[in-house]
Amino acid sequence: MTVPETAMNRAREETDPGMLPSQVRMPSPPGTERRDSMISIEGVSVFYGAKQAIRHVSLEVPERSVTAFIGPSGCGKSTLLRCFNRMNDEIPGCRTEGSIIWKGMDILSREVDPVPLRRKIGMVFQKPNPFPKSIHDNIAYGLRIGGMRDRSEIDALVERSLRHAALWDEVKDRMDESAMGLSGGQQQRLCIARTLAVEPEVILMDEPCSSLDPIATGKIEDLIYHLKRDYTVIIVTHNMQQAARVSGLTGFFYLGELIEFDRTKQVFEAPRQELTERYITGRFG
Amino acid sequence: MSNGIPMAKEKFSTELDRLVVDVLKMGELANAMLCRSMRAFKDLDPKEVEWVHSKKGELDWMDRDIEERALQLLTLYNPMAKDMRTVACVLKMITYLNRIGRYGKDIARDAEALIGQPHISKLVNIPHMQVLASGMVRDALEAFATGNLKLISEFRERDDEVDAIWESVLRESLTYMMEDQKKIPTCMHYIMVARYLERCADHSCKIAEKVHYMYTGEHIEIK
Repeated sequence: MTVPETAMNRAREETDPGMLPSQVRMPSPPGTERRDSMISIEGVSVFYGAKQAIRHVSLEVPERSVTAFIGPSGCGKSTLLRCFNRMNDEIPGCRTEGSIIWKGMDILSREVDPVPLRRKIGMVFQKPNPFPKSIHDNIAYGLRIGGMRDRSEIDALVERSLRHAALWDEVKDRMDESAMGLSGGQQQRLCIARTLAVEPEVILMDEPCSSLDPIATGKIEDLIYHLKRDYTVIIVTHNMQQAARVSGLTGFFYLGELIEFDRTKQVFEAPRQELTERYITGRFG
Repeated sequence: MSNGIPMAKEKFSTELDRLVVDVLKMGELANAMLCRSMRAFKDLDPKEVEWVHSKKGELDWMDRDIEERALQLLTLYNPMAKDMRTVACVLKMITYLNRIGRYGKDIARDAEALIGQPHISKLVNIPHMQVLASGMVRDALEAFATGNLKLISEFRERDDEVDAIWESVLRESLTYMMEDQKKIPTCMHYIMVARYLERCADHSCKIAEKVHYMYTGEHIEIK
């Protein structure tokens, strides 16, 4: 009998060293920087004009893990996600305070160039957004922009990225066809492959399955599980079952504040905060 | 939407409340079967035997009905946190309660076999075991209904007391059997009944563990 992928995933989750309780009591005390911490968010606040969308959020995201942000609409989870690769810079009137320390640098510092940053911290959006080009060129485009010229090297990377995104077997015979002809789920995996091609270390996902059917959603969820072996994944989702299925850590946000951040099992089985309990049991939101 | 609670949530809450009430009804039935089986055993009363036997089908039906509805709630609503823990507790409790009721049926069967023969001696320990075990079942059910975990806080000691009486009944029965081989069939019934009651106390401890988890989210072991 073949063990279902989701069951395998759960078994892996149980033995995931990235989820030891000692690693998830976030944030850690000031001045006690942890080696296993990949991204350290310290006192981040975000304003849209006069309106404060994020209120002094601090937490630490361990590397090679899946971290989910949940909360009702307007709670600030997507705003915080966009801080990680400075996407909020593109929004007029948006101002950010605090720091996000990654590899010894403050991502939010004006001295950090967001363009190379976004190659290392890639993003997958709610709606699949392939370029109106061929499947091959969707992935090769970013590589060429990055200066890669060798055709065989590009082809090898395209194949590797598609394999990594669990899409290769479905598209290998039609690489020159338009990406717009792919199904929604395939388009989203293509976008993930495109993100992987430029070899990021962190992948941000903003509601990656909200426009997909259950089968395509299942494939993306399995893919997220595989990705955590090599990447740090931060996912924003409205779907609590999805957060429970794919992530090792979950943060619950409400009105711009981080209410609870703990192991996913703890958050969904026995949350420590009354507000979290009320939200995840559907009593508000 | 009413009172700010989404309609689907309201339906879920209503269904969950109904489930909890039905588990309590099942618990009362199981405990009644245990109590009246002991009356049947102590007084060798065929009417009580018949009553206990007549309830077996109802107990099984409740077990299946509650299980089906609990699984439906899991499927339709994907409950989380305390809601999920309540459904999980219900699913485990009905198995334990069914076992307790069936032990009542087993005791009634032993009583039936002894009807027409006097007891070897006045029964004291075995009925006392039933009082203790039934008290534990009742307190576990009340803790489940009210969240008053003080009611189950001394279950370890209470179970130890039942275990001690079970060992005493075993020793006493062995003595009777060694003295007179003709007493072996009757004493075997005593040993079996005492064993069933000891298991009932164990099952109430398991229920208490689940109730504790349901209210606190923390797993404990009572043994």
